[in-house]
Amino acid sequence: MLLLMKDITKRFPGVLALDNVSFDLKKGEIHALVGENGAGKSTLIKILGGIHQPDSGKIILKGKEVKFSSPLDAMMYGISVIHQELNLAENLSVFQNIFLGREGKNPWYINFKDLEKKAKALLDKLGFDLDPRTPVKDLNVSEKQLVAIAKALAYDAEVLVMDEPTATLTEHEVERLFEIMKDLKSHGVSVIFISHRLDEIFEVADRVTVLRDGKKVGEGQVKSFTRNELVRLMVGREIKDMYPKYNEPTDEVIFSVEDFEVPGYVSKTSFEIRRGEIFGVAGLVGCGKSELALGLFGALKSSFSKMRLFGREIDRIKSPLDALKNGIVLIPEDRKKMGLILGLDIVKNITVSNTNTVAGLINIYWKKARKMTQSAVERFRIKTPSIRQLVKNLSGGNQQKVVLSKFLFREPKLVILAEPTRGIDVGAKVEVYNLINQLANEGKAVLFISSELPEIVSLSDRVMVLHRGVTTAIFEKEEITQENILKAATGVDVA
Amino acid sequence: MKNIWKFMRKNPALVGLLGLYAVLSILSDRFLTISNQINILRQVSIQAIIAFGMTVVIISGGIDLSVGSVFAFSAVVMASIIKGGSVFLGILAALLIGTLFGLFNGVLVAKGRMQPFIATLATMAIARSFTLVYTNGMPITGFSKAFRFIGRGEILKIPVPVLIMLGVLMFTWYLLRKTKLGLYAYSIGGNEEATRLSGVKVDFYKMMFYVISGVFSAISAIILTARLNSAQPIFGQGYELDAIAAAVLGGASLSGGTGSVIGTFFGALMMGIINNGLNLLNVSPFYQQAVKGIVILLAVLLEKEE
Repeated sequence: MLLLMKDITKRFPGVLALDNVSFDLKKGEIHALVGENGAGKSTLIKILGGIHQPDSGKIILKGKEVKFSSPLDAMMYGISVIHQELNLAENLSVFQNIFLGREGKNPWYINFKDLEKKAKALLDKLGFDLDPRTPVKDLNVSEKQLVAIAKALAYDAEVLVMDEPTATLTEHEVERLFEIMKDLKSHGVSVIFISHRLDEIFEVADRVTVLRDGKKVGEGQVKSFTRNELVRLMVGREIKDMYPKYNEPTDEVIFSVEDFEVPGYVSKTSFEIRRGEIFGVAGLVGCGKSELALGLFGALKSSFSKMRLFGREIDRIKSPLDALKNGIVLIPEDRKKMGLILGLDIVKNITVSNTNTVAGLINIYWKKARKMTQSAVERFRIKTPSIRQLVKNLSGGNQQKVVLSKFLFREPKLVILAEPTRGIDVGAKVEVYNLINQLANEGKAVLFISSELPEIVSLSDRVMVLHRGVTTAIFEKEEITQENILKAATGVDVA
Repeated sequence: MKNIWKFMRKNPALVGLLGLYAVLSILSDRFLTISNQINILRQVSIQAIIAFGMTVVIISGGIDLSVGSVFAFSAVVMASIIKGGSVFLGILAALLIGTLFGLFNGVLVAKGRMQPFIATLATMAIARSFTLVYTNGMPITGFSKAFRFIGRGEILKIPVPVLIMLGVLMFTWYLLRKTKLGLYAYSIGGNEEATRLSGVKVDFYKMMFYVISGVFSAISAIILTARLNSAQPIFGQGYELDAIAAAVLGGASLSGGTGSVIGTFFGALMMGIINNGLNLLNVSPFYQQAVKGIVILLAVLLEKEE
């Protein structure tokens, strides 16, 4: 055994984050760590990475007890953690990032030529197709991921921890990442892999440890579990239907747009949404589907020749305010950047988007705002000790529910949901799917944008696919398969 | 005990204030007299009013370096108009100048997408230059008794400047707590993008924040001119730093999203008390800046602990 974390307990003010959890890792295995948000995965990883210190319990590495008092400490012992927020210096180049903090012994001089050569050798060895001199800010998310991996491995890591590395990657890039993981494994590196996607765990992991509410509730060979067993362990109850679908599509067109264009991102396209249906939009990362959403909402410059929503002609959408006035809302894909004001409480977050109802020209009616927030908390089952809780202290799933609730009070006619389940756990996902069904049944036009093919395929009644900004297909219900969508998304002619 | 510690860390200005009161009332028997306390409040009122406006701007994630120069320019223009015969028009002109420079800053930041530090640094230089050109570098002195009342008068034994300061304090408190403008200041400072996507006219409100700061500078300039019976072209130099210090002592973060006007009031009071106390103790004024600097560092360190 390479690593043993034994009886780890960690308490934060108000919560017992880890309760006597043990975790072991063998040399050269890929070990998945799963659990819902708030189950304790991150805390366990942060203890292993030297960010937190456990209240009790010990870490035994290669038979010797070790204590990590800082991330650098952990790295010196060969443990590298790639966090979800990749923590790269955006304005520095790839090779400068890889060797950041270890530029050499001489404090007066950095031999950039040498570092670049070393980086090149490392990237070649790993088979990463990256120019070491490219500034990191010019890379896309998956390339940045590769830089983070290279950086971690440059420390001669024996244990590599990857916290949801696939959340922002495309299908193809995920495949590539898995190859790299398997390759690392064959070189004796052990990988701890955190993911919310069960398919991936079954595809790549050897063993799995399941956490729930700070306790270990299961462990074993991945092969010895079924999907449903894993979900039950994670959630603590049976989830019969991962992708509930009970909306009732009709033929009545309630939203239509012609020649819609977002210059630089989405070429002219026309589509319509019918009453009761869930209209999906799919495509690879960078295909323009995020920009389609932002354009329709007025947050990016866009144009169209004709737009009708419930029979009413809309002549222009130049700003989010225009969109909202016309009954269009966007649940943005990056909730921390675009959806929430993390440092404010739930009441204030909801009030900012609803001043049309809870404020006059100048004054805010706080009593009304609190009442609205209370009803949001109840309707969306937001788990929080109080409506005055700061949003940054909520779990990912609950944060997402705040984002959903803050816009739905505006009685929208068209709801654009961009990646509404990204980074949230299984239980919360099902709740979001239920909500999407309900929105459709309430007669709202629903535009559902997602990079996760299984949910697009399972939920949508029709799917529009983008490839490099061009609409390559609009599939009817019976044509919606992962294969068809992938073909259209990669530009293979399907017609 | 734990709660007390938490409270202390949350309110460094208030804690520092209490500490200063304790120390100074032991060291000097004149410190805690009513006349000295009123004296402190009167001295503080000028800086505090500017700091209130600065607080709004800082909460929204900006900064306004032009307050001192705008202060000076509105003072001298007002003074010349009052000399020409109309107190009313003079005051109006001062407020108008505060508004216009605030709007100018706001347009540069909101529409011109300039960094607030740079935009207001430029305004600071421009307004100072206007002041010097307008006065030819000479002070303008000697006003009517009615006008001087604003700076020297008392109502129910409370100096008029203190009353104005308390009025502006309450007004700002109300703005930040009860109005959309206040909520948006916090939300724009916390996450501008998310606020924009919530349908808020971010640019408009950003301009308003700078207008508030400009107007408050002008109000403060009216008081000081009346008090000294003179408007000097060198008025207000370094006021921006005092205002920023008061806001930060009061718990505002320069990265935006947090702060309170009550905190800023305590921050300004603290700096006033340091000045007053050191005077009472006959400490050379040359030391005052150093003491202020050290207090600011201590307060911010205390807050960082959290």
